[in-house]
Amino acid sequence: MEKLNNFSEFSLILKYALKDLSRNYHKISSIIVTLFISLFILSAIFTIEDSLKKELNDNAKALLGGDLEIDYNRNPGNLDLINQVKEFATVSQMIEFSTMLSTTVREKNKSLFTRIKTVDEKYPLYGNVVYEPTGAYERMQKEPYSILINESLSKTLNIKINEKVKVQDQNFTVIGIIKSVPDVSGFVAFGDWALAGKQTLEILKLNGIGSFLNYEYKVKFSEKDKPEKIEKRIEEIFKDDQKVKLRYPENSASGIKRIINNFSQFLSLVSISAMLIAGIGIANTLLSFINQNNMSIAVRKAVGFYSGNIKTLYYLQLFILLFIITVVAYGSSFLIVPIVDRYLSDGLGLNIYPAFSLLNFLKIFLVGLLVLVIFSIPTISSIDQVKASNLFRNVFQNLQFYYSKRSIILSFVLLSILILLFTIGSEQPSYSLGYFAAFFVCLIIFFLLSKLIIFFLKKFKSSSIISLKVSIKNITQTKSITPITIMSLGLGVTLLLTLALVGTNFQREIAKSIPDIAPDYFFVGIQKGERDKFEQGILNMDPNASIEIVPMVSSGITKINGIDPNTYIKPDNDSYWVIGSERRSSWVKNVPEDNSILEGEWWDLSKSDQLQISLDAKVAKDFNILLGDIFTLNIYGREIEGKVVNFREVDYRDLSINFAMLFNPQFAKNIPHEYLATAKFNSNKFDETEMLEIMPSLSMIKIADYLSKVTAVLNKVFIAVTLISAITIVIGLIVISSAIMVQGKVKEYQNLVFKILGFSKKQIIFSSLIEFVIIFKSVILIAIFFAVIGSKFIMENIFELVWMFDFKILIYLGLSIAFVTLVLILLTNLKYLNPKIYPLIRNQ
Amino acid sequence: MNSLLKLKKINLKYQTGKDSINVLRNIDLNIKKKETVSVIGESGSGKTSLIMLIGGLEKPNSGKIIFQGQEITGLSEDEVSEIRKKNIGIVFQSFYLIPNYTAVENVALTLELNNFKNPENEAKILLDRFGLKHRFNNLPSQLSGGEQQRVSIARAIAMKPKLILADEPTGNLDTENSIMIANILFKYVKEEGSSLIMVTHDTKLADKAKRKIKIKDGKIK
Repeated sequence: MEKLNNFSEFSLILKYALKDLSRNYHKISSIIVTLFISLFILSAIFTIEDSLKKELNDNAKALLGGDLEIDYNRNPGNLDLINQVKEFATVSQMIEFSTMLSTTVREKNKSLFTRIKTVDEKYPLYGNVVYEPTGAYERMQKEPYSILINESLSKTLNIKINEKVKVQDQNFTVIGIIKSVPDVSGFVAFGDWALAGKQTLEILKLNGIGSFLNYEYKVKFSEKDKPEKIEKRIEEIFKDDQKVKLRYPENSASGIKRIINNFSQFLSLVSISAMLIAGIGIANTLLSFINQNNMSIAVRKAVGFYSGNIKTLYYLQLFILLFIITVVAYGSSFLIVPIVDRYLSDGLGLNIYPAFSLLNFLKIFLVGLLVLVIFSIPTISSIDQVKASNLFRNVFQNLQFYYSKRSIILSFVLLSILILLFTIGSEQPSYSLGYFAAFFVCLIIFFLLSKLIIFFLKKFKSSSIISLKVSIKNITQTKSITPITIMSLGLGVTLLLTLALVGTNFQREIAKSIPDIAPDYFFVGIQKGERDKFEQGILNMDPNASIEIVPMVSSGITKINGIDPNTYIKPDNDSYWVIGSERRSSWVKNVPEDNSILEGEWWDLSKSDQLQISLDAKVAKDFNILLGDIFTLNIYGREIEGKVVNFREVDYRDLSINFAMLFNPQFAKNIPHEYLATAKFNSNKFDETEMLEIMPSLSMIKIADYLSKVTAVLNKVFIAVTLISAITIVIGLIVISSAIMVQGKVKEYQNLVFKILGFSKKQIIFSSLIEFVIIFKSVILIAIFFAVIGSKFIMENIFELVWMFDFKILIYLGLSIAFVTLVLILLTNLKYLNPKIYPLIRNQ
Repeated sequence: MNSLLKLKKINLKYQTGKDSINVLRNIDLNIKKKETVSVIGESGSGKTSLIMLIGGLEKPNSGKIIFQGQEITGLSEDEVSEIRKKNIGIVFQSFYLIPNYTAVENVALTLELNNFKNPENEAKILLDRFGLKHRFNNLPSQLSGGEQQRVSIARAIAMKPKLILADEPTGNLDTENSIMIANILFKYVKEEGSSLIMVTHDTKLADKAKRKIKIKDGKIK
C-alpha cells in the first residue's frame, strides 16, 4: 500500500472507503460469501480447539483426579509409603479392573466386557460425579453389592435401575446411572464402564493380568501448602520404589490433547486450502469490481486523486470488510460449540463452552488479511493502468492483473508468513510444510495444464461444427478464464477426492478387511490350571471352532544395555508404549505364521538357561536396538536379563494374538503365567453366558462390538472431514462463477454479436457445454492422479494402513462434481444469453 | 505576467504497433488569464489530445508546457495531480459522474479532496446556482443529460480553477440544453475570471469564445 501524506488525507480516504463500501457491498457479495465461509471454518476449528484445551487445562486436576497421581499399575501400592503421604495430604485409593458384566433377567442373557472403577469415600478429590437418582452414589459406598453403570452400558444391555447384574459369579444391584465422572483422562474415551465401592474388590476374584488391574492413589494437597514443596516431598518418599509412576495435572489427558492437536492441525490445513482457493475468487471478483469502477477511478484521477490514494481506498474497503466478516465469522463459530459439546459429552464426558480468545480472533483476522492482501495486490495494482485521459476517448479497456517485481516479492513474503503461521507451533510442522508444498505443486501443475490445453487447442485444425469452434475460441482467447477455472476447480476436486479416498479406505479397513482375518473373540483371565476347561467349554459349544491359546506374562523393561530405556526413545515416538508401562509378553516354540523373522535367528536351543527375546522389528528400529542388545525385565518383581536374538514383522492390524516381545519357551515356561486365547467360530452356537457359568472370572472381548464403536467414532470424524471438503468445493464453485463474472461484459458483447449473426441460444449453450467437457475431463484426470498419490501417502505413511484404489467412489464424486459445476456454469452464463442490445450498441 | 499557460514546440506521437502517428506537431500556444479559447477542427485532428496534454493527463514526446510559470512536463503523475486538483477543472462530453454518488456527493468530491470544511454545503450552493436544488440527492441515472452536465460543470468549477478545460461540453445534449450549458460556462468564466479552453464542433458555441484555434493534421492553423 502507498504511504499517506497526512492524517487528514487518510481520514478523507477512510470516509470515501466507508461510503463506497456501504453502496457497493452487493457487487462484491461473492468476496463476502467466500471470505465468510472460509473464515467461519477456521474460526470454528480454532474456537473448538481452544474451548477443548481450556476445558482440559481448567480441569487438569479434575481430569487427573487430584494434585498428583501415584500409579502402581497392576501392583498393589506400598501402603507404608502411601501412609507417609496421608500424613500431610488427602489420599483417595482407586482400583480399576476389567471383567464381564451380564444381565440376569433376560430370556437370553447379554454380557459385556466392562471396565469397573472401585473408589473410596474420598473420591472424587476434584470435580463431581453426575448420576441419577439422587443418593445413589452415597448408597454405592455403603452397600456392598451395589453398582453404578454408565449410560452406554445401560443402553447396550438395556439395564434399568434396581435390576440385578452379574459380575463374575456375584450378583450386583444397579442402583444408578452415571452421566459423567471428572477424571476421564485415565479412563477409556468410549466404551462401557461402571463405578463400585472399594469393598467390591474383596467380593470378586481378580487376577493380575487378565483383569487388567490398575492401582492408583490420587493425592490432594492441603490448601495452605505450596504444591511444589509437596510434590518434592512425595517424589522423595517414592524415589526408591521402581514400580511407581507419579503423574501431575499437566500430564493429564495428554492423549486427548495430542488427538485434538493432530485433528485441528489437519482441519486447519484443509481450511487454509479453502481460504487459498477463495483467494483466487477474491482476486477475480475484485478485478471485475474494479473494471466496473473503471470510469469512477478515471474521474477520481481527473479531479486530482493520486493513484496511491485510490489504491489505499480499495485496500481500506477490503480491510473494513474483513474486520466485519471476521467479527461475524468468529462470533458465529461460538454457535458450533454446543453442537460439538453434545458429541463430546457423549464420548469423552467433557463439556465445552465457547471461550473468547483475543489471540485467536487476531490470528483469524491476520490469516484473512494475509490471504486478502496476497490475492488483491495484483488486482488493486491494476488501478495504475486506469488513465484519466480515457475519459476523453470514452474507451475503457478491461483491466488485467498487474505484477511488478515489488508486488511479486511482497506477495511471496506474505505467503511465507501465512505458511509459517500454520507451520510453527503445529503438532507436526513437517506435515504442514509438506501439505503446503503439495498444495502449491498442484496449483502450478493445474496452471501448466491450462496453458497446455490452450496450446494444443490453438493448434487444433478448424472444425466445421460452429459450437466447437466457438468453445475453442473461448478457451484459447486472450484474457480467457481457463487458467482460473482449471486451478480452482482442480484444487477443490483434488482435495475432495483425496479426502474421500482416505475416508473410504479407512472405513473399509475398519469395517471390512480387518474382521475377515480377525478372530471373533478374545479371552483373558484364563488361569494356569483352567486351560483345558476353557478349551473344552468352547469345543462343547462349537466343535469346529478354531482356538489359539498362548501363555501370557506381564513384564516391564527397566533397562536396555544397562541404562534407562527412556534414553533410547522420546515420549512422542509411536513405540514409546513398549516402555510406558508393563506390557504383556508370551512365549512360543515355533515362529508364528503371521510374524516372519526379518533379522536374526529363532531360539538357540543350546542356551535354554538364558532368556532370549524376539522383538517387533518396528519397535527395534524406533529404539535403535541391535541384535545382541540386553534387556533387563522386571517380571513379578524379579529382574531378569534377556538377549535380543531376532526381529519379527508384527502386524497388529490383523487383530490376532500379537506381542512386541516373545520369549524362548525353554526359559520362560517356568514363569508363573495366565493364558490369553482367541476363537473363531463356525456357527452361532457360542453362548457367552454359558461360558461364564463354566468360568466366572473369564473375560470375553467381542471384536465386532469394539469395531462398531471405533467405526462409529470414525464416522463422526469422517462426516466432519467431508463437510469441510464439501465447503471447499462450494468455495471453488463460487470462484468459478466469479471468474465467469470477470468476463461478463466480454461475454455479453460476444453473445450480442452471435445474436446479430444469427446464432441460436441452443448453439451458444452447446458451445458452453463443449467448453466445459474439454476443461473438466482434463481436470478430473489430473485431480484423480493427485488424489491417488495423496490418499496413498496419508493411508500408508500417516495411518500405516493398507491403501486400495476405489474406482466407484471416484466415478460417483467425479460425476456429481461435474454435474454441479456444469449447472453452475450454465446458470451464471444464463444472464449473458439475452444481452440488452440498446445499452450495448450505445456504449452505455 | 498575463500568461496562464504556454505550450512550446509540443509534439505528441501515438505508437500503434510498428507505426507511429504524429498527433500534434510543434504546437506553440499561449493562453492568457481570463481568456476564452475554442479549439475546432475535424475529427482526429488532435483537439482532444491537446487539452489532455494541457490537463497533464498525457505527456508530450517533446516540448514544454508551462502552467502559471511552472513547467509541468517533467513532473511526476502525483505532482501534476496536485496542480490539477487546485487549478484545473475539466468538463467532459459524456459527463462522467460517479454513478453511485448523488449530485451533491459528486461535486463535494473535489472540495473534500482539497480539504474544504463543509464540502457538501459548498456543493449545494454551487448546484443551487445551476438550478439543481431539487436534484441534490439524486443519482446520475436519475438526472437528464443537461442536468448531468450541469453537475459535471459544478464539479469542475468547485475549486474556482484558473483554467477550465471542456471537451465537447454540449456534444451529448439537445439544442436547448446546449445553449443553457454554454451560457453557464461563459457566465462563470466571466464572473470568476477563469480561462476556458473548449473543444467543440459546434461553430456557434466556438464563436462565443474570444479566440478560435483551428487544428488540422496536428498543427495550429
